[in-house]
Amino acid sequence: MTAQPAAAQIAISMTGISKRFGPVQALHDADLEVARGTIHGLVGQNGAGKSTIIKVLAGILKPDSGTISVNGETVGNLTPSSVERLGVHFIHQDRLLVPTATVGEAVFLRHELGFGPFVSRRSMNRRAAELLKRYFDLELPVGILVQDLTTAQQKIVQITRALAQKASVLVLDEPTAALVKREVDSLFAVLRRLRDDGIAVIFISHYMQEIEQLCDRVTVMRNGTDVGTVDPAQTPIDEIIAMMIARDVGEMFPKRSVEIGAPMLEVSHLGMAGSFEDISFSVRRGEIVGLTGLLGSGAKEIVQCLFGLDRAERGSVKVEGKTLSLSSPVHAVQGGIAMLPEDRRAHGVAIDLSVRENISLASLGRYSGSGFVKRRQENQAIDGLIRELSIKTPGRDTLVRQLSGGNQQKVAIAKWLSCQSRVYILDEPTVAVDVGAKVEIYNLLNRLAGEGAAILMLSSDLLELVGVCDRVLVVYRGRLAGEFSGAELDGDRLLAASSGARIAKAEAFS
Amino acid sequence: MSVSHDTGASGAQRLGGFIASYSVVITFLAICLFFAVASPTFLTGANLYNVLVNNVVMLAIVALGLTIVISSGGIDLSVGVSVDMASMVFVMLLAAGYGGVFGVTVGLLAAVAVGVLNAILITRLKISPFLATLGVLFIGQSTQQLATSGGQPIYLITGYAGDQFNAIARTALLGVPTPVLVLIACIVVVYLLLHRSVFGRAVQAMGAQPGVAWYSGLAVPRQQSLVYIGCALLCGITGILLSATVKSYVPLSGNAFLLDAIGATFIGTTLSAERRPTVVGTLLGVLLLAVVKNGLLLIGWNFYWQQVGIGVLVFLVLAVSFGLRRARQ
Repeated sequence: MTAQPAAAQIAISMTGISKRFGPVQALHDADLEVARGTIHGLVGQNGAGKSTIIKVLAGILKPDSGTISVNGETVGNLTPSSVERLGVHFIHQDRLLVPTATVGEAVFLRHELGFGPFVSRRSMNRRAAELLKRYFDLELPVGILVQDLTTAQQKIVQITRALAQKASVLVLDEPTAALVKREVDSLFAVLRRLRDDGIAVIFISHYMQEIEQLCDRVTVMRNGTDVGTVDPAQTPIDEIIAMMIARDVGEMFPKRSVEIGAPMLEVSHLGMAGSFEDISFSVRRGEIVGLTGLLGSGAKEIVQCLFGLDRAERGSVKVEGKTLSLSSPVHAVQGGIAMLPEDRRAHGVAIDLSVRENISLASLGRYSGSGFVKRRQENQAIDGLIRELSIKTPGRDTLVRQLSGGNQQKVAIAKWLSCQSRVYILDEPTVAVDVGAKVEIYNLLNRLAGEGAAILMLSSDLLELVGVCDRVLVVYRGRLAGEFSGAELDGDRLLAASSGARIAKAEAFS
Repeated sequence: MSVSHDTGASGAQRLGGFIASYSVVITFLAICLFFAVASPTFLTGANLYNVLVNNVVMLAIVALGLTIVISSGGIDLSVGVSVDMASMVFVMLLAAGYGGVFGVTVGLLAAVAVGVLNAILITRLKISPFLATLGVLFIGQSTQQLATSGGQPIYLITGYAGDQFNAIARTALLGVPTPVLVLIACIVVVYLLLHRSVFGRAVQAMGAQPGVAWYSGLAVPRQQSLVYIGCALLCGITGILLSATVKSYVPLSGNAFLLDAIGATFIGTTLSAERRPTVVGTLLGVLLLAVVKNGLLLIGWNFYWQQVGIGVLVFLVLAVSFGLRRARQ
């Protein structure tokens, strides 16, 4: 290449990119420049234009205007396959590997090894094993299927696929969303090594700590354009968040004062062999109780049992004094329990149904007479909830697919408001939701509690638990290992209790 | 139902959108026009009556059943078996001298039994609808052959049974043939159930995202059972009409409805912006298929070429609708 030395350091340069979808200006004169040998963060609220600019780079969307150059060469009319030929590879958020392929087949997908039209699975598996060992020091059984790998291993296989094809730029969209801490650490080690080998890494994440730990540069997007590129080592996280939301971070956890009343949800001696034993607690009217524990601690399973998704073997659950049958969600919902599931797209909202159909799904009985839906009554109630929760949607008949993640989550919450549920079980309510929408969800929880609901929130975000909850219960190896409230409620204590450290006396920590 | 997304769309885009949404209607009208010009018999009262009573009614009722099933995210490959079971039991009971009302009732129950079997396989044993109903299809076909010494038809042209058949197929109320009245009743019931009732909402939710329906406290297995039983009942109605029309039971004749009914339902989905099956869309799909079959026959194409014509037509409607819609995005 004959480009100047400075330009030669630039792997990706996108300038003046604009993209419009109907009335929505998704990108407006956005720039993104990524140098070789750096890890470049891309942050912004949902709807800020992160995914759109990445889809433009991936050749999935055509920009209305702007220029893109890869490794110093201006390229026009990108398509997903031409982008790959240029050495730009994408690790998308959703697993995009064929579950029944072997690791070798996955690594060499569309670039199969073999003779002529014949594919040699054996040589692919062997070569893939060599690559995994060389790059990541990872040894997997030869011929293991993709579906038997952990999510982190699948990410690594995807990265290996990119490397096998001589990637010079690697784009990772929310790669840590489904990973546990240890896996995140090993992924980060891999990314750092790739950076040192001169590869440009674009890293999209909602987690500010990750950006701070990992990235050399970070570009912040807001309202479809880039509002700044900074060095995260020299810029406080608060400042980056402020750039994203143009709002003060101090308001993130809104204060509240609520009268706490009689017990609404009473759990006694709940047990399920192999998961948890002898779990007893209660959540009172107006109270927000947090529940936390490491992966496999049983915290998640407790929540599943309370909603009838799994069957507890022992113990009982009462809502407002009435014992509930825990055999299926049908009974839980009838008993007044609402569930905001972690996997929003699989269990929270049906993205191919309209906002209206989603919101009224759990409460059709309220809007119907002798089996038929009363549309006028339903419409009024839905419009009311859309206004109340300020759900940003063109109308009640818009498909949920077209809303941003935060607004989808609000639709999922509205479903239970419409049902007039009294007890809310929230499973990681702010996962994959941007900062602005998080604040709105916290406000909503406060309001629900203020109106007399009892809220049980399962979360692994310690800041969130400390900021939002009145009390936090910690589960360790299937048992309640601690309860913290008031001055004792802080991140260090929660972390210590979740990892099994003995909590002797409060003074020990202060 | 539909959403207007394109406030700033040009005239051409809007026309494209219109054609995409109404490609079935437009194709239907164009085809009617073509046959009206090409064949003098096409637009005659006698021919249209024949199309309606012999081609549309029975297929439409089966297709309505499949519309419910496909809306729920499932498929029923055993619709033909339900049709045949009703037909077989009805005809055998008449042959044995039982009364018409009794025959119809037990015939319909035989069809319902097929639906119950599907429901058990799908909701209790958790077999996927495709495989469960495929298994029932095989079992149902063999059952018929075993019951009729290898597939011998039962003809009951005259006498008592003939009168019973005529009472169903050859009567009319206020000039409307009884089978058409039955179809209208089925349309009204299925429309109300699918598009206006709480049950319909649950069905649509199951079809869109079963996990969400379950997490919303809907009794998914029960609704799913009702879906397959309802479909089988509708097929049973077709089975009774079929026997009454041809005055016989011909083993395995119900299978002819399967592919046409699936085709009609999917052609019908092009009518909805969300690509969901709808009662109106399905009916248009049925009319389209029936008119094309009849028209091709009238202009002298033989049976085998009819199939080619229908295949091309299905591609045409889907291609126009999907293509234009994609171009707009």
